[in-house]
Amino acid sequence: MNNAFNNLIIYNGYPLSVVVAVVFHTLILSFLIWLQSNNSLDSLELVQPTIIKALFIDENPQVTNQRNQERQRLERIDRERIEREQEQQRQQSETDREAERERQRQEERERSALREREELERQRAIDLQRDRDQAEEQRRLEQTEAEQRRIEEEAERRRQQEVSEAAAINAARNEFELVQSATAVIQQAVQQVWNRPPSARNGMRAVLQIRMLPTGELVEARITDSSGDPAFDRSAENAVYSAAPFTELQSLPINIFNGNFRTLSLIFQPEDLLN
Amino acid sequence: MNEGISLIELILGASPAVQIVMLILFLLSIVSWVIIVQRWLVLGSARKGVFSFEQRFWSGMDLSQLYKEGSQMQQENMQVVGMENIFRAGFKEFMRLRQQGTVDGEAIMEGAQRAMRVAYSREEEKLEKHLAFLATVGSVSPYIGLFGTVIGIMNAFLGLAAQAQATLQVVAPGIAEALFATGMGLFAAIPAVVAFNRYSALLDMVTSSYITFSDEFSSILHRQIHST
Repeated sequence: MNNAFNNLIIYNGYPLSVVVAVVFHTLILSFLIWLQSNNSLDSLELVQPTIIKALFIDENPQVTNQRNQERQRLERIDRERIEREQEQQRQQSETDREAERERQRQEERERSALREREELERQRAIDLQRDRDQAEEQRRLEQTEAEQRRIEEEAERRRQQEVSEAAAINAARNEFELVQSATAVIQQAVQQVWNRPPSARNGMRAVLQIRMLPTGELVEARITDSSGDPAFDRSAENAVYSAAPFTELQSLPINIFNGNFRTLSLIFQPEDLLN
Repeated sequence: MNEGISLIELILGASPAVQIVMLILFLLSIVSWVIIVQRWLVLGSARKGVFSFEQRFWSGMDLSQLYKEGSQMQQENMQVVGMENIFRAGFKEFMRLRQQGTVDGEAIMEGAQRAMRVAYSREEEKLEKHLAFLATVGSVSPYIGLFGTVIGIMNAFLGLAAQAQATLQVVAPGIAEALFATGMGLFAAIPAVVAFNRYSALLDMVTSSYITFSDEFSSILHRQIHST
């Protein structure tokens, strides 16, 4: 009977209601969670901001240092080559002189042989001459030996120089890597906070010179080369000021900091604009 | 960027005060939905009961026969509700007074009407039980949610003050959890308010039909007294 059913519902409706309410809430919660887990996949792509691609070239003293070193090395090699040639020339002339002397001695010997027959008294003098010749020979031998030793020493010195040069290059490369990573850090920090004004156009270019302390604090940022748009310049300046301090620079060795980061030039250049 | 924090992490990672607020709101929401469903069953069946009893009452059936049917139902452990209760109370009182030999017709009518009034107020009480709770949930839970939001945002800013560098990542979870509290408050409040308005209208309709019925019934009794 319909009425009986109604009666049952009215006075025993609570369990049913509780079940319905709990089921309803569970459904809503799981729906929310499902929705979010689905959304997070989509939002991964949405979150990607439009890429702010700022070309960021620092006029790195490191590079000039390296260039200088390379040039010095080349000069040194040149100089050594010239020295070597001079040495060879000297040796050549010496041997020439030697040959000349040999020839003279030969003649002298011939002359003395002629004279021997004529003048026996001069025998002793000839003996003396021979003794002198021997001494000469001895001296020459010694001289060539010394020459040999000198050449060997030269080679040794050169080898050592090469080794130290390689070490220097290695150190320079390490330094270069450090500088590059620190530069990348600064670049990223600045890029993240750089808000370009609406007036920014492709091809604009502003150069900022910044001075920093070894703690990474920014002392001064100065526009050395304006883009021609004051808003753009100001945005670049603001970006640098709000990205500072660059605490990552604290970990750099002080000599590298002094050499590269005391003053740094940053170039701001929008590249991805459509206009 | 890491992917967004999930809802569960958000709730579990919230500060205790906000968590308590969320828990209160969740429980309020569940209880209000229990009441919504239960009242829906009660009021719906009460309205159906009105129609079906009026049909039986006006079908020309003998009133004592109708009364007997109700007694039989009670014996079968089924409760008699709504309009039928009012009818039974009035009819019972009327019959008793007449059997006692009361000659004064007005006294009999007054007695029957009083009994019907009592039954009516009992029925009304049954119907509007818990409706006040829905009204309370509807008006208060947004404020509770707002309270949670204020605490959450306060925590977020306190966390921000502790940081040297203020990034969005520091504030964002706190604000999200704070907003989630407001969301839960609204989630609990909106159905409660809607249900309360709907059920108030339904209750008005049912009770007014009770009043109409008891007036009509007393006019029938009045006729019966004066016809004899």
